[in-house]
Amino acid sequence: MSFPRICLALYRRLASAYPHEFRMLYGQDMERMGEDAVPQVWSRYGVLGIVRLLADIALRLPGTYLAEIRQDVAYASRVLLKSPGFASVAVVSVAIGIGMCSAVRSEFEGIVGPAAGLPDPAALVTFHWSTVSYPYFERYRDQPQTVASATALLRLVPFAVALTPDKTLRAARFYGHLVSPEYFSTLGVAPAAGRFFSPETEKPGMPPVVVVSDRFWRKQLGADRGAVGRTLRLNGRPATIVGIGPKDFLGVYPGNPADLFVPVTCGITLAPELSGDPLHDPEREIFRVVFRLTPGTTMAQAEAAMNAVTRNFDRERGLHPTHDRVMQLMPAGTALYSTPEQVRFTNTFHFVLWALVLALVCANLANLLLARGGERRREIAVRLSVGASRPRLVRQLLTESVLLSVTGGAIGAALGYGFMRVLSSLPSPLPLPVELQCRLDLRALAWTAAIAMVAGIGFGLAPALSCARTDIGRSLKEGAQAPLRGYGRFGLRNLFVACQMAASLMLVLVTGLAAGAFLLIARVNPGFEMANLSLVSLDPMRDGYSVSQAARLLEVLPEELSRVKEVDAASLSGVTPLAWISATETPARVSSSDSEGRSGPIIQAVRTERIGANYFATLGVPLLGGREFEPRDQRNTAEQGTPVPAILNQTAARSLFGSENPIGRRIREGETRYTVVGLARDGRPGFLRSKAAPTIFLPFTAAVFRADPAQGITVVLRGAAGHNTLAAVRGELASLHPDLTVFHARTLEEELNDWSSFIAWQSTIFVILGVFALLLACIGLGGVTAYAVARRRKEIGIRMALGARRSQVEGLVLREGAALVAVGSMLGFGGAFTLWRLLTAYSDMLARTFDRPVSGPLLMLGAPLILALLTMLACYLPARRASRIAPVAALREE
Amino acid sequence: MEQADSDAFLPLHQNWFHILLSLAGSEQHGYGIMQEVLERTNGAVRIWPATLYGALQRMIAGGLIEESEERPAPELDDSRRRYYRLTRLGRRVLDRECERLRDMLRMAQRKRRQEAY
Repeated sequence: MSFPRICLALYRRLASAYPHEFRMLYGQDMERMGEDAVPQVWSRYGVLGIVRLLADIALRLPGTYLAEIRQDVAYASRVLLKSPGFASVAVVSVAIGIGMCSAVRSEFEGIVGPAAGLPDPAALVTFHWSTVSYPYFERYRDQPQTVASATALLRLVPFAVALTPDKTLRAARFYGHLVSPEYFSTLGVAPAAGRFFSPETEKPGMPPVVVVSDRFWRKQLGADRGAVGRTLRLNGRPATIVGIGPKDFLGVYPGNPADLFVPVTCGITLAPELSGDPLHDPEREIFRVVFRLTPGTTMAQAEAAMNAVTRNFDRERGLHPTHDRVMQLMPAGTALYSTPEQVRFTNTFHFVLWALVLALVCANLANLLLARGGERRREIAVRLSVGASRPRLVRQLLTESVLLSVTGGAIGAALGYGFMRVLSSLPSPLPLPVELQCRLDLRALAWTAAIAMVAGIGFGLAPALSCARTDIGRSLKEGAQAPLRGYGRFGLRNLFVACQMAASLMLVLVTGLAAGAFLLIARVNPGFEMANLSLVSLDPMRDGYSVSQAARLLEVLPEELSRVKEVDAASLSGVTPLAWISATETPARVSSSDSEGRSGPIIQAVRTERIGANYFATLGVPLLGGREFEPRDQRNTAEQGTPVPAILNQTAARSLFGSENPIGRRIREGETRYTVVGLARDGRPGFLRSKAAPTIFLPFTAAVFRADPAQGITVVLRGAAGHNTLAAVRGELASLHPDLTVFHARTLEEELNDWSSFIAWQSTIFVILGVFALLLACIGLGGVTAYAVARRRKEIGIRMALGARRSQVEGLVLREGAALVAVGSMLGFGGAFTLWRLLTAYSDMLARTFDRPVSGPLLMLGAPLILALLTMLACYLPARRASRIAPVAALREE
Repeated sequence: MEQADSDAFLPLHQNWFHILLSLAGSEQHGYGIMQEVLERTNGAVRIWPATLYGALQRMIAGGLIEESEERPAPELDDSRRRYYRLTRLGRRVLDRECERLRDMLRMAQRKRRQEAY
C-alpha cells in the first residue's frame, strides 16, 4: 500500500471518531474531501503536510466533543430549570444526603483516626487501660523481637507554670506528660525547633528541661523564635525549654492533650508525682506505656510476649503464683482510645447510619428519575422521530442526572463542611482539657459523592436506555402514559413509595433511638441531692507544703470552713464525688480475711476513695449501715498497729461477703488490714460504666501525701440555700491560707454538667442527624408521592368526566396512599427493630436504653405519624388540584 | 437592527472571512472552498479539513451560510458532497467586514501620509 493510501485510511479512521451528529452532517463530505486533499497535500507539501493534516483532525476531535457536551449541559440546565420542583427536590436530597453521610464518616474518622501530629500511629499500641511500674516497663521495652521502641509516661500531670524563672508572675495551671526519654523517638515525631529527649541526654541529676507544644509556644510564648533556651518556672522550679513540638502535636493522648513534656528524670522537686522513687519501685504501677511494635508483629503476638515478660519478672521477684495478670493491648495514637470491640461497634453504627442515609438518597433519586423518565417518553419519541441519535439521547439524559448529582454534591460538600464546623465549635466534650479534631474527611466525602453519583447516573441511565429502545410510534400515540418497559404502571412505583417510607422510618427511628439513648444516660443520677453542694480543689504539695503541714491542713480545714456562715457542712475527699462516673485510676486488689488472717474471696479491681469525716452526711446520703469516719480516724494510720477503718459500697460488700453483714469484718489490701465500719449506697451506673464499681472508702490521712505528694484535696461543701457559698469559702481560704491556690471552684451541678457534656455532645450529633434524616425523608417521600399522584391527572380527568365526584376521586387516591403508608410503616418498624436489636447486641450501653426507651412513645408514634401525615398530604394536594381542574383540560394536557 | 445583527460577528475570524469570500461568488463544496482559499492567497492561507468543518458548523449555526439544494450536473456531481451558500446575513456580514477593513486601511494610510510630511 502506498503512503498516501495509508494516510487516507488513517484520515478516514480519525474522521469516523467524530461525534455521531457531526458525522451525520459532515461525515461523508469530509471523507470525500480527504480523497481529494490527501494526494494533493502529499504532492505539494510532502510528509510534513500530511502530518499537519492528520494533526488538525486529531486535535479538533476533543474540542468537537466538548462543544457537544457544553450543548448538552446547557440544554440539561434549561430542562431542569423548567421543572424547578423536580430539580430542587433532587438536588436538596442529594445535598443533604452527601453532607450528612460525609459528616457521619468524618466524625467516625475523627474518633478512631490518627491523632493530630502523629506521623505513623498504626504500629502504636498501649495496655488496655492499665498502668504498670517503671521496672516492668523496662522489661517490656527490652524485647527487640516484638518491640521496636517503647515509652512510659504519666499523662494528665498538672504543672503550675510561670513564664519567667523568678516569682514576679503568677503561675497558671497547664497539663503535661511526664515521659521516659524515648517518648518522642517512639512516637516518631520531630521537633519544630530545638531538640527532644534521648536516653543519653536525660539522666538523673541533670538541670531540669522541658519541651513545650506548638500550641503552648504560639499561645503562651507568642511564637517567640528565641523560645528554645528560655527558662520557665514549673511548680516553682526553673526549667529550660529545649525543644518545641511539631504543629498540632499535643501528645500521644489527644483526649488529654499535653502542652508540656518533662522527662521522668527531672526529679521530685519538679514533679511531686515522682516522689517515692517510682522509677525503681516495681509496686508503683502508675505509668502508661506506649509501644511501637516491630513490623509484622500482631497485637496477639505482642500480648503473648508481654505476658511472658510479666510472669518471668513476677517469678524473679518471688511473687505469689495467684498474683497473675493478663496484659491486654489496644491501639494507641488515635484521637480517642478505644478497644477494637468499641471501634468495631462505633464503626458498625456509623456505617449503618451512613448506609441508611445513602440508601435513602439513592431511593429518592431513583424514584424521581424513574418517574421523570416515564414522563419524558413523549419528548424522547419526538426527538427520535426528528432524527436524534439514540446514544445522543442517552447522553442527554445522563447529562441531566450528572448535573443533578454534581450540583447536589457541591452543595452537600458545603453542608458537610458547615456541619463539621458547627460540630467542632460545640463545647469541649470531655471535662478535662480535650481537643477533638472534627474535620471534614475528604476521603469520606469523595466516597459518598461517588456513590451518590453512581446512583444518579445508574437510575438516570435505566429510563434513558429503556426510553431509547421504545417504539416511537406507540409512544407518540399514547403520550406520556405509555408504560415503560419493565416498569409496571403502579406496581413498581408504589413499591418504591413504600420502600421510601420504610427506609425513612428506619433512619428516623434508629437515629431517634440513639439520640434517646444518649440523652437518657446523659441524665446521670448521682444518687444524692445536688442542690447547694459545691466543690473547691486545693493542691497543698504543689504549693510547697510539707507532709506535716498538709496533715495539719487536713485536720483544720473542715472545721474552719464549717465556721463560715454560708456553709452548713464541709468534708474532704481525694477525688470528686462524681469521679466514679468515669473512674480510670489504678484499681487495688482487696480480699476479705477472717480472724486468723486467711484470705477469703478476692476482688481484683476495687476503686479506693480517700474521704474525710462526715463525708456522706455532707453529701446528704445516709449510710446503709455502720458509721461514718470521724476526725480521729484521719489521725490514725496503719503504722500505729490498729486496723484502719474502711467503708464499703454495696457492690464491694456483696463480692467480699455475699449477703452477710460486712460491718465489723476484716479486709486486707496487700499487708494493710482494714475493719469495715460502714456500708454505703452504690452510685448509679453512668455513661462510661454499665455497673457500679466496687469501691472502698478509706480515711483521708496525711500518709496519703507521703505516698503520693501529687494528691490534691477536694473540699465538699453543703451551703446554706440562697447564699454564694463558693465566694464566701474562697474569701475565707484566702485570708486563712494565703499561700494555697484555690482552683476548680464549682457547684456540683456544674461538675456534673462537665461530666455529661460528652454525652450531651454525642446526643446533639444524633439529634442533628435525626432532624436531617427526617428532613430528607420528608423531601423524598413528599416529592415522590406528589409526583406519582400528579402523574395521574389524566386518569383523574377521565374519572371526573365519567361522573365521579370530587370526594370519590380524592378518597380513592388517599385510600391508596394510606395502604402504601401502612405497608411502608410495617416494613420500616420491622427493619428498625431488627437493626436496633443487632446494634444492641454490640453494646450494652444501647441495650440499656432498649429496655427503657425514654423517648419511646413520642418517637415510636411521632415519627411514623409525621411521615404518614406528610405522605397523605403529598397524596391529597396533587389529587385535589387534579380534581379541581376541568376534566377536559386534564384530558387535553397530553 | 439588521446592522446590529451583522456587527455582532465583527471582527471576523480570518478563516470565516475567507470562507465567506469563497462562497460570495458561487456555491461551493468543502474541498472547493479549501482550494479556492489556497489559490486566492497564493498558498499563504490553508484551511485544514477539520478546521474547515468546525467553522462551517458554527457558521451554519450562526446563520451566515446554509446548505444549498442545488447540485451541479449529474456527471460532475458526487452524492457524498455537500454544497454551501451565503445567506443574506452572511452576505451582509461580509460587506460590513469589508467596510471595516477598508476604514482601517484608510486610517492607516492617512496616518502614514501625515508622518511622511
